[in-house]
Amino acid sequence: MIELRNVYKYFDDTVAVDDVSLSVPKGKFCALVGTSGCGKSTTLRMINRLLAHSEGEILLDEQAISDYDPVLLRRRIGYVIQNTGLFPHWNVARNIGLVPRLLKWPASQVRQRVEELMQLLGLPVGEFANKYPHQLSGGQAQRVGVARALAADPDILLMDEPFGALDPITREKLQEMLMQLQARLHKTIVFVTHDMDEALRLADHLVVMRAGKVIQQGTPLSLLQKPADAFVDSLLGGLERGLKQASLTRVKDHMAPLGPTLPAQSRIPARYTLRQALSMMLRDHSERLTVVDQHDMPVGELSLRKLVKEAHSSEQGSSRES
Amino acid sequence: MSRKPQPSLSTYHPAQLLVPVIWVVLLALAVVAMPATEAVFRWLAPDARQVIYQRADFITLLGRHLFVVGVAALFTVSVGLLAGVAVTRQWGRDFLPLATQVASMGQTFPPVAVLALAVPALGFGTLPIIVALVLYGLLPIVRNTIAGLKDVDLATISSARGMGMTDGQILRQVELPLAAPVILAGVRTSITINIATAALGSTVGASNLGDPIIAGIINTNMAYVVQGALVIALLALSVDSFFEVLQRRLRSHTA
Repeated sequence: MIELRNVYKYFDDTVAVDDVSLSVPKGKFCALVGTSGCGKSTTLRMINRLLAHSEGEILLDEQAISDYDPVLLRRRIGYVIQNTGLFPHWNVARNIGLVPRLLKWPASQVRQRVEELMQLLGLPVGEFANKYPHQLSGGQAQRVGVARALAADPDILLMDEPFGALDPITREKLQEMLMQLQARLHKTIVFVTHDMDEALRLADHLVVMRAGKVIQQGTPLSLLQKPADAFVDSLLGGLERGLKQASLTRVKDHMAPLGPTLPAQSRIPARYTLRQALSMMLRDHSERLTVVDQHDMPVGELSLRKLVKEAHSSEQGSSRES
Repeated sequence: MSRKPQPSLSTYHPAQLLVPVIWVVLLALAVVAMPATEAVFRWLAPDARQVIYQRADFITLLGRHLFVVGVAALFTVSVGLLAGVAVTRQWGRDFLPLATQVASMGQTFPPVAVLALAVPALGFGTLPIIVALVLYGLLPIVRNTIAGLKDVDLATISSARGMGMTDGQILRQVELPLAAPVILAGVRTSITINIATAALGSTVGASNLGDPIIAGIINTNMAYVVQGALVIALLALSVDSFFEVLQRRLRSHTA
């Protein structure tokens, strides 16, 4: 559990972080999003005390971080940065084993843990353990970076634009990997990115920042349904917002029972997203799709008309709530 | 992790040692076999009474030369490293310009002048030449230590700190190893030029490989000068080529 209460950071006369409050419950994935220079990285670096906050309180499991020894605090928090920060003079195995060694684990236990992590991140031990960072591709290097951050099994992970320097295909692969890891490990993650799609895809909780302030925070769906202002709206893609929302929604949550009419020709698996369903409707010139389960058996149907109506009513519903 | 990084076969090869070994063999030959080359040197100084320098044998002179350079290197390396590390720390940053200035002054000051000033204070002998060599050899080491440490990627240091390394651990395990090739280049320059500069010691009574050169100049005996210069050059080349091998080994991991 990470909690920031009215946190400020001043650099000389400028305010880099301006009254930020947020809380990340245990096991949740929080993304800080904003354009460069909005204070998102500064906020992150205050959590592991790489920067000292000027005012306010930062709490880790209900205890102020100023009560911890900064070095011991950082060994409890995994940290991943954009350009990996791997040590170029150490091989992969030694890089990954850094924090366990700092914590004085016995050598055999460190080796075992390193091999375990390399397997977890899809880096065959025989092939990669003795390689040096300059021999790795960007994606491989960042896998090592993530493995190093996870080495001592910290509860908390701080990730500072970890996939920002990667090409789109590698980035998507690593996002996928991170989602799978998170589904297994349930770390408390704070993730800084300027890529809204990445944030929407990964996060349980989104925090949009601008000029050091939090403009809006909430679940990805709640932001998509009701952006606080034009800035958030444009970050969320403006006109594309509807599609982004659709990509966060599963077909199975919107399908209707099979009707008496003839089932549609086009079939879509229930686990697919609404965005993929819409795409299929456009491609196949079909207003209706047959939803199938993993055995390709029809389980329901999706109709464009109903989707539009539902979207309309859910928007009204959410505006009534707020 | 108990496994140390192993130099792979492609980056380390015993054949690399071939060059320094050749130079050392040549140096040993020159030192031991010098008296046997009288016929060659007679040709350089046909009128001299003696053509091979014999006031002391070359092995002794080489030993004294190495001693002076070695003691000076011990000082320059330790003082230069400490200074370079100190002024790149957060608390020492204010002294960065001062340190580089002092070190450059040491090098702009000609060693001969240092000797002239040091002799009245320290007397004749080995001490003034060691002082001159220390002052002269400090700059390359201080400058390269500072440059090497400043070159270390800030993101690497920041991630080291973020991982929970202490300042000392970052310095020892990250900064110094990464700066090592550059620092070593400074040590190499410093020691190599000091091997040549140490010959000046003969003028203030520190007997070493400069002796034949000085004696040759005084007696206009070209053979003496060449003998001294030859052994000094071979010594410098031997030491320099060892550093070359060392540097290549260091670089192979951080290419």
